[in-house]
Amino acid sequence: MSGEEEENAAELKIGDEFLKAKCLMNCEVSLILEHKFEQLQQMSDDPRNQVSQVFEKSLQYVKRFSRYKNPDAVKQVREILSRYQLTEFELCVLGNLCPETVEEAIAMVPSIKAKGRVHDDEAIDKMLNDLALIKKFE
Amino acid sequence: MFLKTELQWNVVIPAESLDAKGLMLQKAIVIRLLDDFSKRKATKDLGYLLALTTVEKIGEGKVRQHTGDVLFPVTFSAISFKLFRGEILEGVVHKVLKQGVILRCGPIENVYLSSSKMPDYNYVPGENPIFLNDKMSKIEKGVTLRFIVIGAKWLEAEREFQALVGLHADYLGPVS
Repeated sequence: MSGEEEENAAELKIGDEFLKAKCLMNCEVSLILEHKFEQLQQMSDDPRNQVSQVFEKSLQYVKRFSRYKNPDAVKQVREILSRYQLTEFELCVLGNLCPETVEEAIAMVPSIKAKGRVHDDEAIDKMLNDLALIKKFE
Repeated sequence: MFLKTELQWNVVIPAESLDAKGLMLQKAIVIRLLDDFSKRKATKDLGYLLALTTVEKIGEGKVRQHTGDVLFPVTFSAISFKLFRGEILEGVVHKVLKQGVILRCGPIENVYLSSSKMPDYNYVPGENPIFLNDKMSKIEKGVTLRFIVIGAKWLEAEREFQALVGLHADYLGPVS
């Protein structure tokens, strides 16, 4: 990222390498970290000795802030959001915060309404309804 | 934001461990890598290093002339956590002070929310100090807040990040 362009996630100015990086939603990270923790439990008596503070705090955080718990639901959320031309970053912010209205969604991810993007309110509304349905049937 | 990236690190195996061949050597390399990984804790570019997910490839070892150790380039995938300026996310209030609030978000413990960035909230001192607004919305220890990241600073010496956040936009504030 060049020095002149100041970082700003609201405008998707987060550096080329991050725009292309894979982002993960809290619920996806939760499944991965929980699985890792279980693997460690099988290998030793106290798995907490084997994990770093960073791992433990992160696990606590994602468990608390996952909107979806069921692995199939998590996969569905990723699938549904992937149908709407979003960047990885935008997809994850939406999957994490689960806005209820179109207005709220735009406030959370202003870049989806930026010039040149193809998201009209109707499309955003449909996307939010699809997400709400997954939650309902989880 | 949680990121998944592919990295390439060099793992050094001391000469003594090189009697092992094949799978045992591979195991020694992975164990060393895991150890290096947890010790590293965080980097300025990737943020906090949480977990190594897969080892993609272990390259050919190069003998280091003077020590006899062997250096293996290892390609692997890992999950990290980094805060981006302008990003909106949620955290938990850990401490309430007159000047503002300290939050925890993911592995980051130093997330500062200044009272100047909490529009319409006023400090209420007491044994359990809180911030209150005229709609009776309360900000106290344990409350979840949705905030926007104003900036994140990398502290080289401590190998950790400090962040400044605010509630000065729509749909931000306490979340039930």
